[in-house]
Amino acid sequence: MSALASRRITDDLVRPLTRTSWRFYLLVALFGGIVATAATAWLSQAYFGFGVTGIRWPVYWGFYVTSFVFWIGISHAGTLISAILRLVNAGWRRPVTRCAEVITVFALMIGALFPIIHLGRPWLAFWLFPYPSERLIWPNFRSPLVWDFFAINTYLTGSVLFLLLPMIPDFAVVRDRSTGLRHRVYKALALGWRGTPRQWHRLESAMHIMAIAILPVAVSVHTIVSFDFSMAPVPMWQSTIFGPYFVAGAIFSGIAALIIAMAVLRRFLHLQDYLLPLHFENLGKLLLVMALLWGYFVFNERLVTYYGNGPAEMAVFWRTQRESFAPLYWTMVICNFVAPLVLMGIRRLRTITGTVIASLGVIVGMWLERFLIIVPSLGHKYLPNSYGIYRPQPVEIIVAFSTFAAMALLYVLFAKFVPIISIWELKSGPQTPASGVADASHGAVSTAVRGAQP
Amino acid sequence: MAADLDRCTGCGACVTACHAENNISTVGADQAARGRAKHWIRVERYWEGEFPDVQLKFRPVMCQQCDNAPCEPVCPTYASHHTPDGLNAQVYNRCIGTRYCANACPYNVRFFDFFNPSWDKPLHLQLNPDVSLREVGVMEKCTFCVQRIKSAQIQAKAEDRKLADGEVQPSCAQACPAKALVFGDLDDPESAVSRLTRSPRGSKLLEDVGTRPNVAYLSRQTEV
Amino acid sequence: MKAIYGLYPDGQSAQQVVNRLRAAGLTDREITVCSSQPMEHYEFGQMDRATWIWWIACGGGLIGMASALGLSWLTETTWPIDVGGLPAFAWWPNLIITFELTMLGAIIATVVTLVITARLGRGGGLYDPEVTEGKILVGVENPSESAAPALEAALRAVDVGEVRTIGES
Repeated sequence: MSALASRRITDDLVRPLTRTSWRFYLLVALFGGIVATAATAWLSQAYFGFGVTGIRWPVYWGFYVTSFVFWIGISHAGTLISAILRLVNAGWRRPVTRCAEVITVFALMIGALFPIIHLGRPWLAFWLFPYPSERLIWPNFRSPLVWDFFAINTYLTGSVLFLLLPMIPDFAVVRDRSTGLRHRVYKALALGWRGTPRQWHRLESAMHIMAIAILPVAVSVHTIVSFDFSMAPVPMWQSTIFGPYFVAGAIFSGIAALIIAMAVLRRFLHLQDYLLPLHFENLGKLLLVMALLWGYFVFNERLVTYYGNGPAEMAVFWRTQRESFAPLYWTMVICNFVAPLVLMGIRRLRTITGTVIASLGVIVGMWLERFLIIVPSLGHKYLPNSYGIYRPQPVEIIVAFSTFAAMALLYVLFAKFVPIISIWELKSGPQTPASGVADASHGAVSTAVRGAQP
Repeated sequence: MAADLDRCTGCGACVTACHAENNISTVGADQAARGRAKHWIRVERYWEGEFPDVQLKFRPVMCQQCDNAPCEPVCPTYASHHTPDGLNAQVYNRCIGTRYCANACPYNVRFFDFFNPSWDKPLHLQLNPDVSLREVGVMEKCTFCVQRIKSAQIQAKAEDRKLADGEVQPSCAQACPAKALVFGDLDDPESAVSRLTRSPRGSKLLEDVGTRPNVAYLSRQTEV
Repeated sequence: MKAIYGLYPDGQSAQQVVNRLRAAGLTDREITVCSSQPMEHYEFGQMDRATWIWWIACGGGLIGMASALGLSWLTETTWPIDVGGLPAFAWWPNLIITFELTMLGAIIATVVTLVITARLGRGGGLYDPEVTEGKILVGVENPSESAAPALEAALRAVDVGEVRTIGES
């Protein structure tokens, strides 16, 4: 790569860190305000009692658990793009990996808050941690919620490290280009990175191991989240297909979130030369594949239930398809299946705008899907006398939807302090058309012979 | 326990007695309409048939103390577990309020404390000192009046004898005017409850879900 | 720290300089190379390749597996609590905890190994901010007095480079 192109890439990707406009402050204030409102709402719930929510007998899980499953699902974006595409060496992934990994980490952080938010006594959440207590009692390792605890913590640790490791060389870049306080901060963050072959080897080996390790963890995490449902004898919950169904749904929603994030970054940080229509088209194709897969799993689940014809199951079945939840159900089907198939299936519509519209629909549809798995079943279990209707209250609505603001806030802050595209990974890959002429020597295997060549 | 549906009149005395014995607060009409009432035992009322051949059926439903309780493996803190006596125990101190147990229960007999309970004076004087008060955020349910069982067991041990059949009566069984609820030791094949459970009129609720409940419901199967 | 190094614009010139330094009698350990990207395609980019990190990751995984099995087996058998009539220690559910802690062990072992073997967090070492702009640094730290002129000649032999020195001389 020519020195000029290389410098231009570095300039473009470091500029968001050094140049701050009023829009940044406005966004932070706006999103921060929404998050602060939600925090107040939740504290009011902790203070006044859980009754301020809409949770009731027998629908004991509502918006909070929906949000939990939704955000853990979104977190699968990074693993797919970063880990899988890294392992199969897909070159087009390079500008996208960090955007994706950031979504993973923040979505996980937000999702992992919800098991605490929805607790009746959240101040005792630490009992899920296995520590030798005076009462000689440990967590119940046979409970899906304890599996959740371990799985989400493992995945969070792994994802954070997977995100942080390739950031080190980029911190070194910012360190070398800045002065004063910024220089000192990034010098500390860069951990003395010099870029010796030894360091590069270790880093790449570590990344390779992490990519291999994080994939099964990601699959296990959402499978375990699905076990929160399939381990209970609730109509339409005790389905063996929940594991793969949830994982497919997670990857689906993750790709949608990634497309939206990339489109926003492209516009706001002027990354038109780096996030190309090609990337959106490839992700759009992935979105199409996942939409088909999602449709396949839903079809499987519902057909088997239909043929089982159990009275309780069919009651819930019709509740979603024909009765009170029908409008939400069919909206979900259109958003998750029909719209992506049409928008992503027709090549002419597979533009950046098209993928973003399809992705927004998928986000809505996947949130609805989680809701429709939880609430109709719980409100209509086996004994008719104990049926109930769930009506969400302002506290839950605010907390559940402020998570989108929280995600945006974290993302905006991240993009301000870390280059959102991995500079060294971008430069090491095959050159994109916008960044200059491909370096002929880059792809060539060196013929330099070890030994004296005066 | 055995519940004889042919005797049950739906009067609701069992519900009231349970509230009194176990310090269950009433939540007010507004909250009850929003589904926050905590009736550890409830009387389910079903109308069958079309006018004028309408029939009214009552069924008291309380915690079935299932052998294969779905609420137990899912509790992350072991707050819901099985005692050697065969009861499903709910340990309020250990509960962090995930409410998974309530979702898993097919009978919907588990209740969550949505608010801190309160009793207007002087009703607080009526509280049973043998039963702990539950704070907001924990799950509670029918315990077969375990405080009565335990105190009778302790008494019997002190007197160096075994418990007699019918010596322990949960408050619902004690209050029922029709003697529809019978409590006893299912391990003793000669106890009243064991005999009633073996009755041809007996069946279990939601048996096909696989929870192996320990409450037998007796009713004549009538020809339609 | 005293050092002498050159900044070169591309991998080919850097390779030539490394060869010259080796011809001048230096071992790989004494030669410092810094780049802003992994230069896998060049021979000098293959220095210091051997690593135990894969084995250590597996070892970390084994430690994680052992601790998970130990934790679940010890706690569930020492204080057996009957839940739903299930056995006190059943391997199906404990397999999940075991899997998670195995992966956690592998991940943490990998990162710790990386930090230690890449000598991250420890400052010092020969470096020049020009590396960020795409130059490749090839140099020697603390060269002996007698060897310094020969090394400097080797570094200057490739015209496109820029040679600098650090420290007292």
